[in-house]
Amino acid sequence: MPYIEFKNVNKIYEMGEIKINALNDTNFQIEKGELVVIVGPSGAGKTTALNILGGMDTATSGRVIVDGKEVTRLKNKELIGYRRNDIGFVFQFYNLVQNLTARENVELATQICKNSLDPEQVLEKVGLKDRMNNFPSQLSGGEQQRVAIARAIAKNPKLLLCDEPTGALDYKTGKQILKLLQDTARKENMTVLIITHNGALAPMADKVIHFKNGTAEKIEINDNPKPVEEIEW
Amino acid sequence: MKKALMKDSVKEIKNTYKRFLSILLMAFLGVGFFAGIRATSPDMVDTIDKYYDNQNVYDIQVMSTLGLTEDDINEISKIENVDKVIGTYETDGKLEIDKVEEIVKVMCVEDINKPRLLEGKLPEASNECVVEPNFLSQTGKNIGDTIEVQIENTENNNGEEVEYLVNKQMKIVGTVASPLYLSRDRGSSTLGSGKIDYYIYINKDNINAKDIYTKIYVKVKGANELETSSDKYKELISSTKSKIEEIKDEREQARQNELIDTATEKLNEAQTEFDNKKKQAEEEITNAEAKIEDGKKQIEDGEKEIAKNEQKANKEFADAEAKIESAKKEISKNEETLNQEETNANAQFETLGQQKAGLESNLATVNTALGTANETYAGILEALKNPNIDSGSLESLQGQKLACEAQISKLNETKNTLIAGISEIENGINSGKQKIEDGKAQIEAAKKELEKQESSYQNTKTSTLAQIQSAKDKLEASRKELESGEQELNDQKAEVEQQLNDAEEELIDARDEIAKIEKPTWYVLDREQNSGYVSFIQDTDSVENIGQVFPIVFFIVATLISLTSMTRMVEEQRTQIGTLKALGYNKFQIASKYVIYASLASVIGGILGMSVGFVLIPKVIWMMYSMMYQIGDISLNFNWTFGIIGLGLIFICIVGATIYAVVRELRQTPAILMRPKAPKIGKRVLLERIPFIWKRLSFSRKVTVRNIFRYKKRFLMTIIGIMGCTALILTGFGLRDSISRIMPDQYEHVFNYDIQISLKDGLEENQIGELKNNLEQKDKITNVVETYMTTETAINNGVEEDVQIIVPEDKNSLDGTINIVDLDTKEKVTLNDNEICLTDKAAELLGVKEGDTITLQDSDGNQKQVTISNVVENYVYHYVYMSKELYESLYNKQYESNVLLVQDNDLTEEQEDSLAEELMNYNEISSVSLISSAIRTMDETMQSLNYVVVVLIVSAGLLAFVVLYNLSNVNISERIRELATIKVLGFYDREVYDYVTRETILLTLIGIVLGLVAGYFLNYFIIGTCEINMLRFNKTIEPLSYVYSTLITIAFTLIVNFVTYFALKKIDMIESLKSVE
Repeated sequence: MPYIEFKNVNKIYEMGEIKINALNDTNFQIEKGELVVIVGPSGAGKTTALNILGGMDTATSGRVIVDGKEVTRLKNKELIGYRRNDIGFVFQFYNLVQNLTARENVELATQICKNSLDPEQVLEKVGLKDRMNNFPSQLSGGEQQRVAIARAIAKNPKLLLCDEPTGALDYKTGKQILKLLQDTARKENMTVLIITHNGALAPMADKVIHFKNGTAEKIEINDNPKPVEEIEW
Repeated sequence: MKKALMKDSVKEIKNTYKRFLSILLMAFLGVGFFAGIRATSPDMVDTIDKYYDNQNVYDIQVMSTLGLTEDDINEISKIENVDKVIGTYETDGKLEIDKVEEIVKVMCVEDINKPRLLEGKLPEASNECVVEPNFLSQTGKNIGDTIEVQIENTENNNGEEVEYLVNKQMKIVGTVASPLYLSRDRGSSTLGSGKIDYYIYINKDNINAKDIYTKIYVKVKGANELETSSDKYKELISSTKSKIEEIKDEREQARQNELIDTATEKLNEAQTEFDNKKKQAEEEITNAEAKIEDGKKQIEDGEKEIAKNEQKANKEFADAEAKIESAKKEISKNEETLNQEETNANAQFETLGQQKAGLESNLATVNTALGTANETYAGILEALKNPNIDSGSLESLQGQKLACEAQISKLNETKNTLIAGISEIENGINSGKQKIEDGKAQIEAAKKELEKQESSYQNTKTSTLAQIQSAKDKLEASRKELESGEQELNDQKAEVEQQLNDAEEELIDARDEIAKIEKPTWYVLDREQNSGYVSFIQDTDSVENIGQVFPIVFFIVATLISLTSMTRMVEEQRTQIGTLKALGYNKFQIASKYVIYASLASVIGGILGMSVGFVLIPKVIWMMYSMMYQIGDISLNFNWTFGIIGLGLIFICIVGATIYAVVRELRQTPAILMRPKAPKIGKRVLLERIPFIWKRLSFSRKVTVRNIFRYKKRFLMTIIGIMGCTALILTGFGLRDSISRIMPDQYEHVFNYDIQISLKDGLEENQIGELKNNLEQKDKITNVVETYMTTETAINNGVEEDVQIIVPEDKNSLDGTINIVDLDTKEKVTLNDNEICLTDKAAELLGVKEGDTITLQDSDGNQKQVTISNVVENYVYHYVYMSKELYESLYNKQYESNVLLVQDNDLTEEQEDSLAEELMNYNEISSVSLISSAIRTMDETMQSLNYVVVVLIVSAGLLAFVVLYNLSNVNISERIRELATIKVLGFYDREVYDYVTRETILLTLIGIVLGLVAGYFLNYFIIGTCEINMLRFNKTIEPLSYVYSTLITIAFTLIVNFVTYFALKKIDMIESLKSVE
C-alpha cells in the first residue's frame, strides 16, 4: 500500500454560475521518503492538489489517503490536527511572522505539535545558527526561506509540502534551498513534495508528477535522481 | 468627477459595508450624543417658555406688606408696556386630615398663572377646590371628598376683622399642577411647622374679603413672544419693573394714608361710643346709689320704732312684776302669821298633850286598878263557885264580892271621866290643827293664784320679746341686704371704671397705632424670584455644561476609528490607487472616492444620529428632571444649530482622517503603490531588554507583547475606546450611586432620628416636658429631643436660599440625633452661644465660609445678621443650627419647643406605623412624620434614575462595540497573511483566536483600568455640574459599580471577540496566501 494515494480526486470551484474543474480525476501515489517534484503550467491544478494533500482544502470527490489516514474524510478539526502534526508547508513568499525572530517563528510551529524537534538545532541544520535572533526583515530572501523550511521540518511532519519554494529567489539561493530540501528528504527520510513550474528541476526528484489540465498526466520515476548541485537551468 | 469613480465608490460601500457601517455608527453616536445633549438645554428652556406662555404666567408680581387695592391695580395698568394687571388673593391655611395638620397655600384660579388641570375640573363654585396630585396620594383623599381649610381672619378695607373664606368646607373637584411651583419646594409659612406642604386652588367667589388683594400679577406686553430667561426678555421685564418701581413710593404713601384714614374714622366712632357708654354707666351708678340711700333710711326708721316698742314693753313688764312682787309679799306675810299661830297652837297642843298624858296615866292607873279589881273579882267569883266553901268564908267572900263590885264600879266611873277628859283635849287639838291647816290651804291657794298670774305674765313677756326680736332680725336682714347691695354697687362701679379705663386705654392705643401706621413696603419681583423657576433655569445650565464634555469622548473615538479604518482601506487598495495614478488620475480624483465614502458614512450617520439624538436624549434627561419638576412633557425641537455643528464636527473628524490617510499614500509613486506594502517590521520591545521579566513570559505572551507595541495606533485606539466605554458606564452607575446615597447619607448619617413630631401651638413648657417624659417611658422609644424649628431665608450678596433653622432645647441634646459634623475636619461640632452652623450646600450657594456673616430673614421680612462658626455636612435641604442662647438673644423671644425628634427601637415598618398612630392620639401632637416612609417615597422616585444608567450603558456599549469591532476587523485584515499562516501551521480555531485576542484582552484590561480612573473623574464632574440646589450629592461610587462597569465592558468585549472568532474561522488560507501577482 502506498504511503500517499490520490484516488480519482476531483475539485470543482463554483463561482456563481461558472464551474471550474481545478482537479479532474487525479490519481497518483507516493511512497514514504520519496522526494517528489510536481511540475506543470500555471492553472494545471498543482497547487490545488498540494492544498488538498496538505489539508488546507477539501476535495469535491475522490479519496486522499496519507499513511493509511483518509484525509478526505477528516472533519474540520481533525483536518487542523492533521496539518498540525503531519504536514509541513513551505511557501513561495515564506510567510514568516514579521514580528517574530527566526527562532520564534520556528517556535510558533513547534509549540503546538507533539513530536517537534528542537528549534535551535533545526535552525542550525538549515545553517542559520547565527541569525536565530534576527527578525525576518533583517534576513535575506534565502535566509527567510530557510527559516520557513526550518519551521516546517521542526514539526517533524510526515510530509513536507513546498509550493514554489524558490519562486521568489535568485538562482543561487534557489539552488541552496532545493539542496536543503533534497538533503532533508534523504537524511531525515522525509517525504517531500515540491511544486515548481520549472521542469528543469525534475531530475532531482525520485518521482516527477506532470500536471496538465487538472490531472496528473504523467508520472515518471527517476531511478537515479541527481543531486541538485548537478542540475543546471 | 468621473462617473466611473462614483460607481466605484458606491460599489466599495457595498463590498465593505461593515467598515462603512462602523464609520456610520460612529458618526451616529457622535452626532446623536452631541446634538441630543446640546439640544436638551434649549429644549428645556423652550418647554418652560411654552408652559409659561400657555399658563399665562406673570412677568412681574407686586406684593405689599399691607395689602394692595383696586387703586394700585389702576395705577399699574396705566404704566407703559403693561398688558394686564390682575389682583388676587393668596394666603396660607391649615387643614387637618386624620389628626395630621397640613399647611396649604391657598390660591385663586385666575386668568394668570393658570393651573394646569390634570384630572377632574377646575373649581367653579365657591365650595369647590382643586389640589395637587401629591395631596391626594399622601393624604388618601380622593376627588369628591371634602376638606376643611382654616384660615386666619383678615381685615377688610374698613379695618374690620372678617372671615377669609366664604366656605371653609370645600369639595375637591380635580387635581392641578401650578406653574408657580415647578419644584417640590412649596416655600415657607408663618403657620405650624413653617413649611407649606401643598397648594390648593379655590374659586375667587370663595374669598370673603375681596377688597384687599394680597398680590398683583402683571403681564408685560410682548413678553410672551420672547423666550423666558433670554436676555431680551430679561431686558424688557427689568425696564417695566423699574417703571413700576417708580410709582412704588406714591402707592405706598397712598396706602398708608388710606389706612390712617380708615383707622382714624374707626377711632372716632369708638370714641363716641365710649363716651356714650361712660355716661350711661355713670347714670346707672348714681341711680343705684340713691336706692341704697333710701334703704338705709328705712332701716333707721325701723330701728327707732323697735326701740320705742321695746321701751313700752319693758315698762309693762316692770309693772306686772311689781304687782306680782307685792302679792308675793302679802302671801309671805300671811304665811308668817299663820306660822306664828301654828307655833302658838303647837305650844297649846303641848300643854294639852301634857294634860292628856296625865289623864292618860290616870287612866292607865285606873285601868290597872280595874284590872286588879277585875282579877280579884274573878278570884272571888272562883272561890264562890267552890262548893266546899265554908259559909264563913262564903260570907266573907260575899262581902268581899260586894266590896269589889263597888270598887269596880267606882273605877269605871273614874275611867269614863278620864276618857271624856282625854277626848275633850283631843278635840281641842284637832280643831286647832284644823284651823292651821285651813290657813295653810288658803295661803297655798293664794300662792297658786300668784304663780298662775306670774306664768301668764312670763308668757306675755316672752312673746313680746320674740316679736321685738323678729322685728330686729328683719331689720338686720334688710341692713345686710343693703350692705351687700352697696358692696355690689361698689364692685360694679370699680368694674365699670376698669372697663372704661381699659376702653380708654384701647382708644389711646388705637390712637398710638394710627400714629404708628407705617408706610407699607412694596416688593416688585419678577420670575427670577420664583425658586422653582430659578432652579429649573439653573438646571438647564447644568445640562448645557454636561453637553460640553460628554460628546468629546465620542468625537475623539470617532476620529480615531475613522482614521484607522480609512487608513486600512487605503492600504488595501494601494494597488488600485497606484493603477489609477499610473492611468493619469490626479490626486484629487483618486482621493475623492474615499472622501465620498467617508462623507456618506458621516452624513448619513450624522443625520440618523440627530434624528434619534434630538428625541431620545432630551427625553431621557427630562425623565430625570421630571422627578424634581412638575412641568409636563418636554417640547422637542429639531435644533438646526446643534445639528449642523455636530454634523460639521463629525464630518471634519471623519473626512479629515480620511484625507490624511489618503494623502499619505498618494505621496508615493505609482510603482511603489503597486507593490504590496511591506509588512510592519518586527522590532524588539523595551520589555525584552529586561530579561528578568521577558524570560518569564510564555511564548505566546511574548508574541502578544510584541504585537501590542507593533501596532501602536491600534493599541492607543483600543485603550481609548475601552476607556471611554468603561468611563461612561461607571459614570452611569456612579450617578445612580451618588443619588441613591443621598437619602441614607442624610437620614442615617446626619439625621439619626426616626420620627419627627410637630407639637401644637401654644403648649406650656410643663406640658411639653410631660409629653416628653411620657414618650420616653415607652418601650419602643429610646430617645426624645426637644427642638424648635422654623424656616427662614438666608441671604448673602443677593443670593437667597430657604433654610430650616433648628434650635435644640439643649446644645448637647442633639448629639446622636442629628450629627453636626464639620465638613473639613469631620469632627463633631458643639453649638456655641453666638454663632450658627450652616450646612455645606447652602454655604456653597451663598458663597460663604466659616467666620462669614449671613442674613436670616423671616417670612415677615425681619432680618438678623449671624456669623457662621462651622460649615457642616448635609445632603438634603439646607439647615442652620443655632443654640437656644443665641436664638433667645437674637430674636428677643422666649425659647419654645415645637418639634420633638424621636429615636425608636429599631422598629419594623408595621411597628412604626402603629407607634405613629398611637402618638397621634396625644392632644399635644399636631403631626407625626416617619423618616422611613419619607425615604421609601424618595427611593421610588429615584428608580427612574435607572433609565439614565441604562442609556449610558447602552451608548457606552455601542461605543465599545464599534471600537472593538472595527479594530478587530482592521487587525484581521492587516494580518490576514500571518493568520492564514498560523492556520496552515495547524493552529486550532481556538488557538488562532487566542493568538489575536490576547492582545485585545490585554488592551481591554488596560482600557478598563484607565476607564475606571477616567470614570471616577467624569462622574465627579458630571455630578458637580448637575447637582440640584437643594441636594448635595455624595460623589462616591460604590465598589460594586466598579465591578459592574468592568464586567459590562468585558461583556461587550466578549461579544466582539465572539464575532471575531467567526471572522477568524472564515479566513480562507489559500486565498490569503495566494502569491501576490
